[in-house]
Amino acid sequence: MLSNYIKIAWKVLLRHPFYTFITLFGISLTLTVLMVLTSFLDHLFGTHYPEVNRNRSLYIATVIQTDSARTSMSSGPATFAFLTKHAKSLKSADKVAIMSNFSFSNTYVNGKRIKLNTKYTDTEFWDVMGFQFLEGKPYNDNNIRNSDHVAVITDALRDQYFETGGKSVVGRNIEIENINYRVIGVVKGSPPTRVYSYSDVYFPYTAPKSNYENKGMRGRYIAIVTAKDASDMPAIQSEFDSNISRIPYAEIHTEQNLTVLEVKADEYFNHFVNTFARDSTQRFLFYTVVSFVILMFMGLPAINLVNVNVSRILERASEIGVRKAFGAPSAALLWQFIIENIFITFIGGAFALALSYLIIYLINSSGWIAYADLTINVPVFAISLGVCLVFGLLSGVLPAFRMSRLKIVDALKA
Amino acid sequence: MLRHLFKLIWNKKGTHSLLIIEILASFLVLFGVLSLIVFNVRNFLQPIGFEYEQVWNVDLASNQDTVEVNRKLTTVMQRIRSYKEVETATRMSSNTPFSANQIGNSVTYNKVTAGGDFYYTDQDFNKVLDLPLLKGRWYRDGDRVAKFIPIVINKKMEDKLFLDETSLNKVIKIDDKSSYKVVGVVDNFKAKGEFMSDNPALFEMIAKDDGWNSNVLIKTKRGTDANFEAKLVKDIAMMLPGWGIEVSYLKESRLNRHNLTLVPVIIFLIISGFLLTNVALGLFGVLNLNISRRKNEIGLRRAMGATEGKVTIQFLGEIWVIATFSLIIGLLFAVQFPLMNVFDLDSEIYITSIFASIAVIYIIVTLCAWLPSKQASRIHPALALHEE
Repeated sequence: MLSNYIKIAWKVLLRHPFYTFITLFGISLTLTVLMVLTSFLDHLFGTHYPEVNRNRSLYIATVIQTDSARTSMSSGPATFAFLTKHAKSLKSADKVAIMSNFSFSNTYVNGKRIKLNTKYTDTEFWDVMGFQFLEGKPYNDNNIRNSDHVAVITDALRDQYFETGGKSVVGRNIEIENINYRVIGVVKGSPPTRVYSYSDVYFPYTAPKSNYENKGMRGRYIAIVTAKDASDMPAIQSEFDSNISRIPYAEIHTEQNLTVLEVKADEYFNHFVNTFARDSTQRFLFYTVVSFVILMFMGLPAINLVNVNVSRILERASEIGVRKAFGAPSAALLWQFIIENIFITFIGGAFALALSYLIIYLINSSGWIAYADLTINVPVFAISLGVCLVFGLLSGVLPAFRMSRLKIVDALKA
Repeated sequence: MLRHLFKLIWNKKGTHSLLIIEILASFLVLFGVLSLIVFNVRNFLQPIGFEYEQVWNVDLASNQDTVEVNRKLTTVMQRIRSYKEVETATRMSSNTPFSANQIGNSVTYNKVTAGGDFYYTDQDFNKVLDLPLLKGRWYRDGDRVAKFIPIVINKKMEDKLFLDETSLNKVIKIDDKSSYKVVGVVDNFKAKGEFMSDNPALFEMIAKDDGWNSNVLIKTKRGTDANFEAKLVKDIAMMLPGWGIEVSYLKESRLNRHNLTLVPVIIFLIISGFLLTNVALGLFGVLNLNISRRKNEIGLRRAMGATEGKVTIQFLGEIWVIATFSLIIGLLFAVQFPLMNVFDLDSEIYITSIFASIAVIYIIVTLCAWLPSKQASRIHPALALHEE
């Protein structure tokens, strides 16, 4: 029965190539855009190299100081001291890493200028992140204690600065702003879209110019707290909240009128949303706008498909009339149309999959994002397939339902 | 004729409802994207107001060093000015042109308050950026009298703050101890690049003992390359041990700022372009089917003496009426934006994009209906009626 329906569907598709083209164009392009978008979002928010523990990590990235009426506000990353005191001390956490936001620098070699992103981290940084070491090893507590001038660099910087053509550079010196650092490790770089792990050079926090001795609350450091298991995260959050709530008023009240302190340990996505939507109304607005855009984006092609389908099915009134006259029940006709639509949606889905592979391949190889690793992974593909089905049903059920209820006489007359 | 068309469509509003929703949705999408584009294009058309080609930005960070920061900065400035590759140099606050930093503040004069961007610079700022003055002059060291801090404002700030008065030599009180004195007015200053709107701006002379504002803008002579840059960084690093030094070219920072604006616009353009193609193809398909189903009606009209043109106009008229229905509904939503001043944008932007989207919708609809109606009008009455 099913194969029969599919055979009919195939014949119908071939009968009017132009309409088939319109339908397939709509389905496959909508799905392509959707898949590329999902894969991009997955790249931004998912758990990927080198932040392999992101699904069990909490990010402490912003210290917000406001007055009680929330009219004036000052916010930014924290100081090393603040994080050491309130985050490193978390008992329920597995590991706590502190790192600076990236800052910029330049290095010069043979009259050539290399732009650098630099980052100061502690040793736990290398445990929390899953960097792959191509050469050497990360710095350890000894290096920190001795304030060694050592650095871990990325493979891209190694190739630019040393031009060794693949020979080991561990132990050699790199000069940055007149200070010589000994390279002790080379890692595979992280894409710039992962701001907390991205850098060209990593220094221990005791290296010069790191400003880790700064006092106060606002500085340039952020902390990542990992849990042993994802289910421990609420416990860590509440412990951190209570740590923050115990900070004495005198310590918070340092600037004229900023008397309220807000620091949160958030999961990556929430932390991202919180940076631009701080209270619940703003967050509500954000989600409304996003769902409206998605609705428009998915809705337009869907309405379009329904439109085309309604018109096309009306064309086949006589076929339906004949089938009904020979005793086919409405349900059978309804199923036929639904299957036909799902069939064409899957063809469109296959096109979309091929197209997305191509686009993602182009993005990855274009160098548009360094170290880009966009993939069509299983969840992304499953979502797209689900969307395929919703599309098929959405654009198939309405016209099919209308047709299946057509009276035999009317159907045959047309 | 028009009333007749309206009646025809109204009677079949059930079958046309999907078409109406589709056109309505396309209108809303277009309106959103065009608002974004009109906003950026309008900004782009205003000149940026200064020269940046040869200018470098040296960002000095004192880090843990807190001893005599200002004296050290002054020495470094003297050294920088002494290089033969350097034309002029100026100190500036961290909100250098094309940077992500912003310093916002407001001033009040005669009960009028105007907010704007504050820039802290020294006497050579206008020479480094070739910033032409509309009136007055740029501030000099001698302008700093006990009570007055010399400032230069831009045209936008002057219009907002002083309304119809002239601004030169006016004194604005900040607090009981000090006041600003306006010594000059510049025209546009779009520090964040071409796509930024021309905000009110105020340039304040850096205080003598200031150690905070440690960016240096350097205008280099033509043909200066990375070798000089390496030497410069090395020299500064010797003079300021422990300080962070970062050199960037304004030319490059400008491109970064542009990409921040252009990338989202391009993504929106691609997506909406694809949506509209989709809608256009769909419309074309639906109209094609609808018209071919009405062959006998066309045949009858042709037999009764209607010309080809008249038949074409009828079908075009029908789709125009449908489009008008959707646009009226869409306008109900769209006019809220200029009326309620959503996002604080100029209502002109919204109105322009409303008209532009209406025009685009009519064009798309006409193009999609043109071919099928043309084909329909060529149907021979004898053939059409015979089929019936």
